[in-house]
Amino acid sequence: MDIAIPPDIAFILLATVTLLAAIMALQAKELIYGAISLAISFIGIAGFFVFLDAPYLAMLQIAVYVGAVVVLILFTIMLVRREVVRETEEHEEGGEGSIGLWIAGLLAVSIAGVAALAGPNLPTTAPPANLPVSELGPVLAIDYPVPLVILALLLSAALLGALVLAKLEKGQ
Amino acid sequence: MVNLPATPADILPFIIALVTSHTFITIVLFPGFIHLMLVVMFLTWYERKVLARIQLRIGPLYAGGPGGILQPIADGVKLIFKEVMIPYKANKPLFIWIPLALVFFAAVPFAVIPFGQHWVIANLDVGLVFVFALTSLFPSMILIFAWASNSKYPFLGGLRSLFQQVAYEIPMWISALSVVLLAGSLSLVDIVNAQQKIWFMVPAFLSFVVFFIAIMAELERLPFDLPEAEPELVAGWYTESSGAIFMVLFLALYMKLYLMSSLVTVLFLGGWWGPAFLPQPVWFILKTLIVATFIIIPRGVYARIRVDMLIKLGWTRLLILALANVFLTVLLLNTGVLSMWGL
Repeated sequence: MDIAIPPDIAFILLATVTLLAAIMALQAKELIYGAISLAISFIGIAGFFVFLDAPYLAMLQIAVYVGAVVVLILFTIMLVRREVVRETEEHEEGGEGSIGLWIAGLLAVSIAGVAALAGPNLPTTAPPANLPVSELGPVLAIDYPVPLVILALLLSAALLGALVLAKLEKGQ
Repeated sequence: MVNLPATPADILPFIIALVTSHTFITIVLFPGFIHLMLVVMFLTWYERKVLARIQLRIGPLYAGGPGGILQPIADGVKLIFKEVMIPYKANKPLFIWIPLALVFFAAVPFAVIPFGQHWVIANLDVGLVFVFALTSLFPSMILIFAWASNSKYPFLGGLRSLFQQVAYEIPMWISALSVVLLAGSLSLVDIVNAQQKIWFMVPAFLSFVVFFIAIMAELERLPFDLPEAEPELVAGWYTESSGAIFMVLFLALYMKLYLMSSLVTVLFLGGWWGPAFLPQPVWFILKTLIVATFIIIPRGVYARIRVDMLIKLGWTRLLILALANVFLTVLLLNTGVLSMWGL
């Protein structure tokens, strides 16, 4: 009994949710809502991996980004920010969110630029779909060690982000 | 596959075909929704009964059935009719939706838990990672719920719950890694199939111990129930929950207890394998309930440990033990000691 949703509609829905959550993550006035939207957007990205026949990557996306990075951010917000337990109705008027949007836009443009420049050199053959997990390890460790390390740096960016959130409060 | 009905006359055969299809039965009856609810209700009664026997009490008795086994139904009816108190200036949507999300994320991993050779909803290639990924969502949701109730005790409990679960997730994952090495697969069905000759509890005994301790901490069971330490935090992160919200939270917690016990059964106790005089799912549920019993018993026996001891145990003992066992497993596999069991 399969009730099939047309893949295009599912993809558009997923993309909309992911993008909206990402924008919410940058624009939310309360950091908690930002963290929750970030988690939703990460789960959306995991959904894209499922679409791309990479369930292992999808699961790791959820485990690492939602299970660890969002936890880190939440932990920082909760421990450091005073307004978390709301005794007053005060909210800080944040303009920081739009800076985040600008940075995200710049990042997107630069990634598109790099992709356009490197376009001819990118491998043209698609990797085999639905690669079993046991074959994924050798591919990552032998064929693509450098990208793997660079991706690991991305995680330290998350760590730095959490630190920045902690520092902002102390500096004020 | 069932074809959608074309004419009104096809509707009845369609419904019959739908209800008797394997997918429908696995999702709704067993090992899906109804079985899950029944076992969770049984577990709430069972825990109270076991604790009562440890403390020389009788426990639930008057609700009907042998030994008051209908107690969970009475509890459910009572909790549904109680008033739901939402604290002053609590975050209402989060306060209501997070418990439901907790139930959802505790129930969905059962889709990949194999209760028998054919009693599994979805044999995912990455089943183990699926279960771990979804259970890793728990601590953050608990913290958000604690924050949403806008009260100091739940908030402290939520923070404790978060750092405890994060600290013990790592030894849990790494101790499961040696099972993955032994079975050579992340699919839970393959892992159980690899244990036909010997349960992984034997070649990976150290992992079994580490995994068991780690899930005790994940489930916030005594001696690791710091997030709900009664003398200091009232009831921990669910202090402010009442009525139906409390019921839903407990549903999620007991579902997670059942999930983790069945994960121990799958990874270390040979899953559905057992002498053939009982069907496979019966063996599986029996083993799982025995594991659950061993998780429940310490609640009546041990005292709560201190926060610093908890963190030290997680990061400096369990983590190292789990890593050591991964190396041991690689060594055993490469020297061929385990080849007599076909590993």
